[in-house]
Amino acid sequence: MMNNPLPLLRTIGLEAGYGRGRKKVSPVPGPLDLALHAGQLVCLLGPNGSGKSTLLRTLAGLQPALKGSIEITGAGAGKLKPAQLARKISLVLTDPVRYSNLEVWSLVALGRYPYTGWMGKLSDADKAIVAWAIGATGIEALLNRKIATLSDGESQKVMLARALAQDTPLMMLDEPTAHLDLPSRIQLMQLLHQLVKRTNKGVLISTHELDLALQVADEVWLLQAGGQLSKGAPEDLVLNGIFETVFDKEGILFDKTTGTFNMHQGSGKKITLTGEGAPVFWTKRALMRQGFTVAPPSSPLNEQQPTADHVRISEKDGRTIWVLEQDGKTGQYDSVESLLDALK
Amino acid sequence: MLSKNSYIFRWAAAIFIGLFSVVSCRQSGKKEEPAAAGVSTDSAYAKTRLRYAHGFSIEYYDHFKLAKVLNRLTGSTDTLEYLLVQEGYPVPAGYPKAQVIHIPVKTIVGMSSMHIALADFVGVADRITGLGSLDYISSPEIRKKVKAGKITQVGLDGNMNNEQLISMHPGVLIAMGNPDAGFGRYKTLTDAGIPVLLNTEWLETTPLGRAEWVKLMAALVNKEEVVNKKFDSIARVYNELAQLCSKTTDRPGVIIGMPFKGNWYTPAGGSYMGQFLRDAGAGYKWADSKGTGSLTLNFEAVVPEALQAAYWLNVGYVDSKKDIADKDVRYVSFRSFKTDKVYNNNLRTNEQGSNDYWESGGVNPQLVLADMIRILHPDLLPDHQLVYYKQLK
Amino acid sequence: MEATQLSPSAGIIQYATDKRKKALILAGLCLLLLIVFLLDIIIGSVRIPLREVFKVIFSHTENDTWRYIVEKIRIPKAATAVLAGCGLSVGGLQMQTLFRNPLADPSVLGVTAGASLGVAMIMLAGGSIATLYTIKELGISGSWLIIVAACMGAAAIMLLVMSISGTIKDNVMMLIIGIMIGTITLSVISIWQYFSSPELIKDYLLWTFGSLDGVTGSQLYLLMLAVAIGLIISFLSSKLLDALLLGENYARSMGLTAKRARIIIICSTSLLAGSITAFCGPIGFIGIAVPHIVRSLFNTSNHRILIPGCCLIGTILMLLCDMIAQLPGSQTVLPINIITALVGAPVVIWVVLHRNTISRQ
Repeated sequence: MMNNPLPLLRTIGLEAGYGRGRKKVSPVPGPLDLALHAGQLVCLLGPNGSGKSTLLRTLAGLQPALKGSIEITGAGAGKLKPAQLARKISLVLTDPVRYSNLEVWSLVALGRYPYTGWMGKLSDADKAIVAWAIGATGIEALLNRKIATLSDGESQKVMLARALAQDTPLMMLDEPTAHLDLPSRIQLMQLLHQLVKRTNKGVLISTHELDLALQVADEVWLLQAGGQLSKGAPEDLVLNGIFETVFDKEGILFDKTTGTFNMHQGSGKKITLTGEGAPVFWTKRALMRQGFTVAPPSSPLNEQQPTADHVRISEKDGRTIWVLEQDGKTGQYDSVESLLDALK
Repeated sequence: MLSKNSYIFRWAAAIFIGLFSVVSCRQSGKKEEPAAAGVSTDSAYAKTRLRYAHGFSIEYYDHFKLAKVLNRLTGSTDTLEYLLVQEGYPVPAGYPKAQVIHIPVKTIVGMSSMHIALADFVGVADRITGLGSLDYISSPEIRKKVKAGKITQVGLDGNMNNEQLISMHPGVLIAMGNPDAGFGRYKTLTDAGIPVLLNTEWLETTPLGRAEWVKLMAALVNKEEVVNKKFDSIARVYNELAQLCSKTTDRPGVIIGMPFKGNWYTPAGGSYMGQFLRDAGAGYKWADSKGTGSLTLNFEAVVPEALQAAYWLNVGYVDSKKDIADKDVRYVSFRSFKTDKVYNNNLRTNEQGSNDYWESGGVNPQLVLADMIRILHPDLLPDHQLVYYKQLK
Repeated sequence: MEATQLSPSAGIIQYATDKRKKALILAGLCLLLLIVFLLDIIIGSVRIPLREVFKVIFSHTENDTWRYIVEKIRIPKAATAVLAGCGLSVGGLQMQTLFRNPLADPSVLGVTAGASLGVAMIMLAGGSIATLYTIKELGISGSWLIIVAACMGAAAIMLLVMSISGTIKDNVMMLIIGIMIGTITLSVISIWQYFSSPELIKDYLLWTFGSLDGVTGSQLYLLMLAVAIGLIISFLSSKLLDALLLGENYARSMGLTAKRARIIIICSTSLLAGSITAFCGPIGFIGIAVPHIVRSLFNTSNHRILIPGCCLIGTILMLLCDMIAQLPGSQTVLPINIITALVGAPVVIWVVLHRNTISRQ
């Protein structure tokens, strides 16, 4: 493992909030010591109201920190002029940009703002970077469209391209997948993941997208309501049970095994299940939806109730068959639906 | 025998004395009547006859006069009636809409410089106890009274201090009137018994017509005789002067007024100023234009005339040619400017900035006309000294 | 960095053809400007033959009256229209960009109200004529009196607005404060009007109608200077304005210092709006309407194109309004403010409706 060089972003004793004196509101009292390195994709996760946005805006330099310091590539952020900071951090925010009536090309080219001269004229080098950003986000077809005519997914890609054109070692994105449909969300997260690998940038994403975040993040900063922040590899946070505690709300369970949230607690009749592969997973889900508690046959549960119903899943001629043993009787079904009907 | 006779005698005496008193009272009332009304049946000046003014009329009756003022302000012409009732006599019946003014009025409140001038002409300036504004007064007598604190400022039309007026209770309030408000705005005052006399002399389209309103003021104080004589001599002088001018063929070009921001308000042919220009023998380009007010012209439209007109009159709030040039450097190209023939009607302006042209000038049109003729036709009146006008240098 | 197989070249080519189209539009507008300028000089209350007009401009004419009219009245008025059209349009564009509000115009900062305040102070609250005579002692007289008063009023409000802007983080708040300051100023003027005599009120009212006439000689040069400086500052702020289109957060992330940007924009707009109001009285509607027309016509939000575009179209529109105000052939002239509103409002409605249909496709 390579030696960790100077972190792109570092905070020491950071407290994020706004207001002054008695009117101070501090959703993230910290004090936080964070570090983000090149080639790292960090996801800032947390329930609503935990202060994710405030923290991100503070790290991005959009609002001042209440306490502590922020260092960008080793230099104190407070000492950097906005023009210098612009060469280090680029942002993708949720601010509306439709009113601007800009064409996509102009918008992406705006990313070169910190580098162009007085009149904003683009040099050949600038144009090359813009071209690269357009290619990286795949928005070639949209170049002459007005931003207001694009779909949400397309316009997010455009804003990402703009941030890429700004060519900074650090990128921060605030809820980039909000308002996107599922395919667009996956696409965007994938894109970000690839970009980090390819360009060795450091990327910080604040998001609600737990599923996708857990898959793409190198590190997760998990912010709890009240300001406590846990950080680590996403898998560690899951296995440590921290995820569960943070997102635990009545009737919702984070299932460590599957990495998903289960809506339904098994609270009803017990049923055992044997089989392999995907059909087992999905049949269990269906049974849980109907209110059953599912357990494998070898569980202690069985010993107490040897007469529990049993479902065996097997394959015959490439097709899945469900066999239900109920009260000594056996039935065979070829779909989950018919199985559930039988169980009613 | 004596007691019976003395009883009858006493009664007869009482009756006789009573009758005699009544008769003599009536007689003395009769005697007082002509004196109070200023009417002697044999004087040609006793009753007012109007020759030029169109805005009012006076009818004479026993013990009272009926004055009618044409309210032409709202477009429709309706007449305001005023009963000028002699002191000590009852108000005659049959005039439900008329306002009652008990004459001779002892106290007057006026709203404009012209009202001061009218009172001054009639010789009753000392009866003024209140004015709309104390700012622009030329009459030395009134200014003295103002300094002595004897005249109250009551506020201008639309802004009048009704409470103050009611507590002063003047014999008459002379108002200028305003087309927007109509007469209703004076209701508080008329309800309180203060008669409001509407003076629309400023709507007259001839200088003599405007000046003739002194006769209405005279009727208020029973001074018709003196005022009628005075006015007739003024009218005679005016007409003689106008005659003088009509004989010459020279009609020098004249431009009037000071433009502002591209607009040049210049008097229409049928206006008061238009009549002055006609009587003064001016060659006024817009003499035939219809209308009794001002024409709103584009600066450019007036320029061809302005460049070559011989004279420039009534140039507003300027005192020298430099002032004019400061207003707009383009004015220096006017012929009248180049030949020093710019005359302003502000010669009689006092230190407070009051211009007497608007005060005594209103009741002395013959002096104004003489000034204008002296300017436009110097050879006609070589000995006349300018009264209201001065040459700007 | 991977050299992605891209065809932004395709985009760039398309962008280039758009550029050519825009250049064509620009050229066409320049020609239109020339035509309209000449027309404005040719049309007037006094009928002057076309040949004579050209004689006055290019060679020599015997007729002194016509020379006076063309040289001293029409040409300065047309020049004033050019300056007012440029200045107000660019000012309006900057306000619409800074506040991200399509209804903003140069008066939202209250600068025009400030100029009116200065003028009202001289005309209404100046009291008796004696006070005016005393002010003259100071050496300022005639028409300069009003101009200086207007400039001082505008400057005072501009300083007030700038000092407040230092403490305000949010542009929307700025907008509201600017409008409120304008309202307070106008209320003060109303109080003075209430206590003034009809003649004074009429004079002031005439001033508020606006007029392109009367700016001559040294006044015209001064206005030229002020508008030129304002336009140059605006043009150099093009990059700034482009960034502001994305909002303050994005702008800051690209290196823009919000405070400095706001001050520059307020300064240049105040200079433009204040100077034009001082010399011509308050002229409305050009500031709102023209930026919309330009954005629609050039179909871009790039301020390097929009600002020259605003100058061109603003000028053309102002000259057109001036010509209409002349009521060609008649002896009277309508106040310019009325015409700008009557012409400007339908244009804005047309543009907005037209844009709506396009974006629905």
